[in-house]
Amino acid sequence: MKLLVPVKRVVDYNVKVRVKSDGTGVETANVKMSMNPFDEIAVEEAVRLKEKGVVSEIIAVSAGPTAAQEQIRTALAMGADRGILVEHDGVLEPIAVAKILKALADKEQPQLIILGKQAIDDDMSATGQMLAALLGWGQGTFASKVEIADGFATVTREVDGGLETVKLALPAIVTTDLRLNEPRYASLPNIMKARKKPIETVKPADLGVDVTPRLTVLKVEEPAKRSAGVKVGSVAELVDKLRNEAKVI
Amino acid sequence: MSTIALSDEDRMLQELVAKFVQNELMPLEPAILKREAEGGKYGLSEAEEAPLLAKCQELGLWGLDVPEEFGGANLNPVARMLVEEEVSRTIVPFEFPPDSPNLHMLMAAANEDQRERYLKPYAEGRMKSAIAISEPGAGGDPAGMLTRARKDGDDWVINGRKIWVSRVPYCDFIILMARTGEGKREEGMTAFIVDKGTPGFIIEREIPMIGGRRTYELVFDEMRLKDSQILGTLGRGYAPMQLRLNVRRLQMGARCVGISARAVEMMCEQAKSRVTFGVPLADRQAIQWWIADAAVKIHACRLMVMSAARTMEDGGDVKNEASMIKVFATEMATEIVDRAMQTFGAMGMTKELPLQLFAQQVRLMRIYEGPTEVHRMAIAKRVLRHGKV
Repeated sequence: MKLLVPVKRVVDYNVKVRVKSDGTGVETANVKMSMNPFDEIAVEEAVRLKEKGVVSEIIAVSAGPTAAQEQIRTALAMGADRGILVEHDGVLEPIAVAKILKALADKEQPQLIILGKQAIDDDMSATGQMLAALLGWGQGTFASKVEIADGFATVTREVDGGLETVKLALPAIVTTDLRLNEPRYASLPNIMKARKKPIETVKPADLGVDVTPRLTVLKVEEPAKRSAGVKVGSVAELVDKLRNEAKVI
Repeated sequence: MSTIALSDEDRMLQELVAKFVQNELMPLEPAILKREAEGGKYGLSEAEEAPLLAKCQELGLWGLDVPEEFGGANLNPVARMLVEEEVSRTIVPFEFPPDSPNLHMLMAAANEDQRERYLKPYAEGRMKSAIAISEPGAGGDPAGMLTRARKDGDDWVINGRKIWVSRVPYCDFIILMARTGEGKREEGMTAFIVDKGTPGFIIEREIPMIGGRRTYELVFDEMRLKDSQILGTLGRGYAPMQLRLNVRRLQMGARCVGISARAVEMMCEQAKSRVTFGVPLADRQAIQWWIADAAVKIHACRLMVMSAARTMEDGGDVKNEASMIKVFATEMATEIVDRAMQTFGAMGMTKELPLQLFAQQVRLMRIYEGPTEVHRMAIAKRVLRHGKV
């Protein structure tokens, strides 16, 4: 079966992001960009399913600027078979990406789509759920364990207060949580092999998707600086302050 | 952050090595520093090295510049310099096997038989090698060497003394430079491959060096070798040796960039957190200028290394650039590491930080593979000859 794995180009998790001086967004010029870490987990899970013989082909997809090819290439080096870049330079909201992915799913007919649960740039956590709704497929979000057998995906989800297990008929959507797996390093021989794997480039319009933003960003600003705290000398003093100053107990 | 446009493969390789350094090597740093500070050996224990080598094999970080026919990755020089820069960010003494400069000399000069006996096992990491060039009276001027090989029937009989030879205890063979002709200076110089254990090959003494390294003095006393041990052409050993040195000098440039980049990172961290007289060090102009100067020089040095690597890739001669890099990179790293130590104050003088080891190693780099002054002489000679740059 085919598996689709979307990967997003985001500011590297090690970079301390800075708000643009005009407040329209965060600075991405001359900043190290990488694959969204949750998407790396998605790629890893896909590759593991292929190694187990469950999946026969992995297609890595990215929607974004030309440079997002780099992230597709990284997915190919990790073990994906081919890539599709949906090239678009402007803002892509989750609904636009979900529509793009739906169009690709219609074309490629994958049995499983594994996405990161959210992207670390805007933390929307929306694309996977929207895609499930658009396709009318079952969804297992925030997965910490995925098992595929007999046309079903059994997904363990991390929820407040414990673990929830859901069983989904394929085709289905899975979004990855941090503890699903630890992504591998792309080995040097695989990096070299990735060079020969194909990446197809299309535009949103080729897929019949209108990506015009529906939302307007009014302002982006840094959180207020935290003021320095106070050190207390003893537990008694702490309790006293919590009771009488903070009035929380 | 890279300063030149990289191919996807080179970028991914750089990321791979950066992750390897961050996750596998950096965690070993405190233990290695502690051992060295307590007077122990500076190096990886077998227990530390074995899993690293296994990981390298798993990741294909093996034989990086080895031709594909020997199972290597055959990386281009640019990619190799990226690797070198990343792996130099830590004082953990680890090299992706095999150490490559001798590889290039062997590739350029070895005959069919030697390729099978030496190059193949060396390239596959099954053999280690060293090279003996300097002599007590001929260091920066290798053409002045006195070690002599004379023909006696079918044999070459070699007498002489070599010094500052690295890797001797664990090498399987050395490349020995000796004089075979009457020609003055670089004429009549021949490279021989000498198996360890050849009668007359004596390890005279171990010499502890600053920076935790060790070198060796070797004596060759009536050592007999067959013609089959001549590497390359009789009397024409100088050029392949230079080729080897050029590779090493570019690598040293990349290493200095890696060391300097790490020093700047440490310096920034300290400058932002350390407050003196109510002001963070980062707000003081002295520190700001050090950081700015470091950034400017690191950028320049990276470009120098990458440009020479591209020329090398295209088959060009980089002798002159290699000299320039050797001078610029080592002086840059000396200055930057020193300023980082100064920024850390007393903490910078401790053996708890890697800076002191970096400082010693960088000091050493201004001497080996040709002292700075000799390179300046060579550069000036070329410029004076042409009357322009």
